[in-house]
Amino acid sequence: MKYFRPQSISEACALFEDNAATLLAGGTDLLPMYEMGRSLPDMLVDLKHISELGSIRWAEDGSLEIGSLVTVHELLHDERIHRDYPALADAANDFAAVQIRHRATIGGNICNASPAGDLLPPLYALNVLVRIAGKIGERVLPIAEVITGPGETSLQQGEILKSVSLPASSGSSRFVKLGLREAMAISVVNFAIRYEIDGDRFSQLRIAAGAVGPTVKMLNSYAEAVIQDPGNISSGIGLVDDDISPIDDIRASANYRSQVLKNLLIHTLLEVLESADD
Amino acid sequence: MITVEQPEYTEIQLTVNGTSVKHCVPTHMRLLDFLRDELRLTAAKESCGEGECGACTVLLNSKPVNSCLIFAVEADGSEIVTVEGLDQAGESENIFRAYLEEHAVQCGFCIPGMVVSTEALLNEESEPDREQIKYALAGNICRCTGYVKIINAVEAAGRRP
Repeated sequence: MKYFRPQSISEACALFEDNAATLLAGGTDLLPMYEMGRSLPDMLVDLKHISELGSIRWAEDGSLEIGSLVTVHELLHDERIHRDYPALADAANDFAAVQIRHRATIGGNICNASPAGDLLPPLYALNVLVRIAGKIGERVLPIAEVITGPGETSLQQGEILKSVSLPASSGSSRFVKLGLREAMAISVVNFAIRYEIDGDRFSQLRIAAGAVGPTVKMLNSYAEAVIQDPGNISSGIGLVDDDISPIDDIRASANYRSQVLKNLLIHTLLEVLESADD
Repeated sequence: MITVEQPEYTEIQLTVNGTSVKHCVPTHMRLLDFLRDELRLTAAKESCGEGECGACTVLLNSKPVNSCLIFAVEADGSEIVTVEGLDQAGESENIFRAYLEEHAVQCGFCIPGMVVSTEALLNEESEPDREQIKYALAGNICRCTGYVKIINAVEAAGRRP
């Protein structure tokens, strides 16, 4: 395995054109795979020395641009994210443990495309755009078009996830995670909501749920019913099943995942409405 | 341990426990194996090998990380501190003393990682409360103690001037 440490995005893209190359970000998902026997690539391209990928900055249109190599620890300690995108800050807080948070990156969490990835529901709920660099230039895709299945993305060989763009914030957001223990747990279910409240009801609501399908699922029919009538928070909860396809695995059964997601959604939405009332 | 049939080698230079070292290492060698097998610094332990247990925790540029999840080549140019590099009679004495006095050690296998995580926490927060301690040590697993005495030790170390 040859090790490369490009200093620029164009240099990295050129190296990654080679089919024998694999990209390395934080390595927290990659190294366990090699440890378990996956064969090493001929070329390992370490992105950590491309300074452009490591920054968080406001863009001119008011969106927040997060470089793909920004670590979960850096997300957790960024005031702008805490204030304007609390769901993402909460997900960073609930993410693994400090040793992993210092290495794991937002771009790695997206490209690893785990159905249970904790940063992903907030990114879907916040409707983020993903900036992708390649040989012929940049393209921008909504997050839902980047992740195509478990461990699968629409990025081509030679393309590098450059940054994530969080739209200018209006409204608030929350993240909820259930694992088998509080720390270092792969989520049994996780979800994020982004919302605005008008009086005693939601005027806007987006709900994104993880670990209940091959990719993060938007619970649009349920969210629309809740916007129409807050009474549907409980009575319309069955609509959640329209949008999810949970499976049985070592952590939980499909039935449990569906039921616990519904319970947590009802609890969270009622709590959000009540606390807005105060 | 990650093994390959035909390793490639790269020269790395880094600071380990205050000493500058230059080594030619296989590119697939993990930082943990570099520390243990090349430098014979055996305090950092391998337990799970997948970043769950924290027995291999070291400081990389002052940040606690799992050395089993990092290739040695990634640490080129950085500063590494293991338990062997903490000053038991000086700056970090309070931690070692508190672990002893609170009887926080049973089999001891997790302790080098625990102590490094404790050092990292106390560098950020000099008098952490129990919730902060639990959060900071969540990536370090101990199968003996049930954690109470370890948390007591970190609390005591924080209070000690």
